[in-house]
Amino acid sequence: MTQRLYSLLAASILLLIIFASLIWLADADFFKSISAFFKGAFGGRKYAYLLVTISRAALITGMAIAALIAFRAGLFNIGGEGQLVIGGLASAFVAINLPFGGPAGIFLVLLAGMIAAGVWAMLAGIMKLWLGVPILVGTLLLNYPARYIASYFVSHPLRDIASGMPQTHLIEKSLWLPLLPGTRLDIGFIFILFVFCIVLIYCYRTVGGYEAKMTGLSIDFANASGLKTKKISLKTLALSGAIAGLVGAIAVLGIHHRFTDGMLVQPLYAWTGIVAALMVSLIPWAVLPAGFFFAAIHSGASGMERTADVPKEIAIIIQGIIILFVASKVPTAFNQNIGNGK
Amino acid sequence: MKAELHEISVKFGTFCAVNNVSLSFAPGEIHALVGENGAGKSTAMSVLFGLNTDYQGNILINDQLRRWKSPADAISAGLGMVHQHFMLQETMSVLENVILCSEPVNKLGFVSFAAAAKSVQNLIDSYDLQIDQTQKVGELSVGQRQAVEILKLLYRRSEFLILDEPTAVLTPNEKEELFQSLSNFKASGKSIILITHKIDEVMMIADKVSVMRSGNLISSKLLKNTSKNEIQQNIIGGSLPKPIKRKQMHPKDISFEMQKVIIPGLATRRKPISLKVYLGEIVGIAGVSGNGQGPLVEAIVGLRNILSGNMLLSNENISDQDVSARRKIGLSYIPEDRQRVGLALDASVLENSCVSQMRNKQFSNGYFFNLQHLCKFSEQLVSEYDIRVGSVKSKVRTMSGGNKQKLVVARELEQKKQLVIAENPTWGVDIGAINKIHQELIKMRDMGHAILLVSNEIEEIMGLSDRIHVMANGQLSESLNSDQVTANKLGELMLSRNEPALSEELEMMRP
Repeated sequence: MTQRLYSLLAASILLLIIFASLIWLADADFFKSISAFFKGAFGGRKYAYLLVTISRAALITGMAIAALIAFRAGLFNIGGEGQLVIGGLASAFVAINLPFGGPAGIFLVLLAGMIAAGVWAMLAGIMKLWLGVPILVGTLLLNYPARYIASYFVSHPLRDIASGMPQTHLIEKSLWLPLLPGTRLDIGFIFILFVFCIVLIYCYRTVGGYEAKMTGLSIDFANASGLKTKKISLKTLALSGAIAGLVGAIAVLGIHHRFTDGMLVQPLYAWTGIVAALMVSLIPWAVLPAGFFFAAIHSGASGMERTADVPKEIAIIIQGIIILFVASKVPTAFNQNIGNGK
Repeated sequence: MKAELHEISVKFGTFCAVNNVSLSFAPGEIHALVGENGAGKSTAMSVLFGLNTDYQGNILINDQLRRWKSPADAISAGLGMVHQHFMLQETMSVLENVILCSEPVNKLGFVSFAAAAKSVQNLIDSYDLQIDQTQKVGELSVGQRQAVEILKLLYRRSEFLILDEPTAVLTPNEKEELFQSLSNFKASGKSIILITHKIDEVMMIADKVSVMRSGNLISSKLLKNTSKNEIQQNIIGGSLPKPIKRKQMHPKDISFEMQKVIIPGLATRRKPISLKVYLGEIVGIAGVSGNGQGPLVEAIVGLRNILSGNMLLSNENISDQDVSARRKIGLSYIPEDRQRVGLALDASVLENSCVSQMRNKQFSNGYFFNLQHLCKFSEQLVSEYDIRVGSVKSKVRTMSGGNKQKLVVARELEQKKQLVIAENPTWGVDIGAINKIHQELIKMRDMGHAILLVSNEIEEIMGLSDRIHVMANGQLSESLNSDQVTANKLGELMLSRNEPALSEELEMMRP
């Protein structure tokens, strides 16, 4: 444990040095940049920037949870992006065509996103069971059709031509996620917090979560013990996809109020979520702070660009370096599913 | 080459795996290092071979103090080790495997295979090894693969060979061939260390015997100055355990039956397997490892589909049922490979002890599990079977081999299913755990359960079984009553079927 602490400390110091030298390269003031970073992430008038961070953190954490659920069952679902897009597209489609609004309407739209994305994730499971395509490959490849299907729909059948952009029409206001009183933060993050609690219970207290974990730790062990591993894998993939779909639906109803081509792909929510889940070695409760951490880096970078004239890319470089640090730790996260030695 | 370990100690945390051990090895000598699993023999040898560099004490090679940074140092100094698990490339030929990483290279950087083939053939001839160097390693038998491993060492001019449990995977014939080669090496002045726990082999071939027990060197003597009895007592530290008492049973109800079952993956597909196990008896299946016992057990448990025939468990046809259905009808299974199949190493003791019962009423309501009951249950297993572990929340990976195996046995027997499949239940565990496991199996039998014991150890089969089948080359012999059979007869049966089965295979391959 202490050794882990030391390596964390060493990594932080190294990170700070790299950060400082990058800021020096960008010819900006170090302390000003730092304060701009923190203001951008957590400050602002009436904490406006903090709310932006929370809103972003909700999406990243949601994707981290989706990744975590699949990973701990030994399913390397890296198709979160595709599932996110399909979920967003399906919910936008339903939202545009739904004749009524209000809570029931919102519920239906969220459900539509979850079902569509769950089915999309299950496709990879079906490809694995019947065609032998590894989950890693299957989920990755399914990202591409998802993106281009969405591109097609928003450029042609669902396009709001008047807007001049590849995007759908604006969704009825009655279907927008309500804002927290007196703020510009929608309640999407509460849904994610709710999902987070459910997932904690799932991981630590339910038979289903237990069986999925055993399957992930050793598939031979699970089979010999009489667990129905095929069913478990499909169910887990569907669950993982459904959570990704929920994130997509929340982004559509809460932030953008329509589906614009690339809006869920460009910010790299899904990939950041995967990194967040791996960074905490798949410990369920820790994905929440991890998701918040990455969101804060993004918001802080924007703040730095606004007030200290430090290009946003510098924060992205820092995030990249953090990912590298994580990558050197990833083998341990994966190893626990292989099991070696006595 | 002379080698000496001088006051070597190795600690893992607070646990002392090797405690102040001094050993010396002379050229032209076969030195057997014996002891139970976990006695520290392999750890001591890994120090000598440079695999373990965190030790106290000194290594002397030809009276010179050496300290290896890695096995590569040890290899270049003339040491070589054959591990229990072979390290060969199956898709490459024998020659390619042998010269790998020390290829003879000409001026332009090309490998000169012709020169290599010539020197390898010289080695094969001079030590009279039974290998064809052009064959792919994947096509070789286990015994031949081992010969390839040894050839690798010879090619690197090793003067000092360490063999870790070399006979564990060999048939008696192959064993003799190995021993013949070892004698040849000895005659040519090489030093050989044999790590083993089989005393008979020691008596047959060793010049010097060193016994280790729980990290300490107990004795190191020339073979002629000691006796089998003395070695045995040194190994276990006291007199031999008493044979286990068993109740007189009169089995009459069939628990499990295989009717003309054909299992894919067995060498002889045309010979179906028939087998009966009655309630209240232990049926042993003897055989050299790799003769089809694995596929047989997988077929019974439900991990492998059968091609034809029927399997009945308490009069229900289970041929098409999956593992969980079979377990529900009344089957439990102690797998051979506890590391991969028997346990999830990175899960806790608690998680491992409840795996097949999670959906039972006391354990869960189908959705949420009853954590209190799980804790109570696993704590009970731990205390009843004397499993040494800090807490039931500890990861299984942290336990010793014997304790891991006791956990598997405890979990499977505690379900009190009518049929127990025990596949090498005492493989690689210490003698205390072996006794405990044997007692529990006998207890199950006395309570009227049916037990199918698959084991590579003849003594275990003879000691526990009421009836015995021998499995050789994918075929099952007639059943033999254990009180009427001798170890020699079993040994014969284990080998006798090799040739007819082979010709049958050839016959099948003809158009």
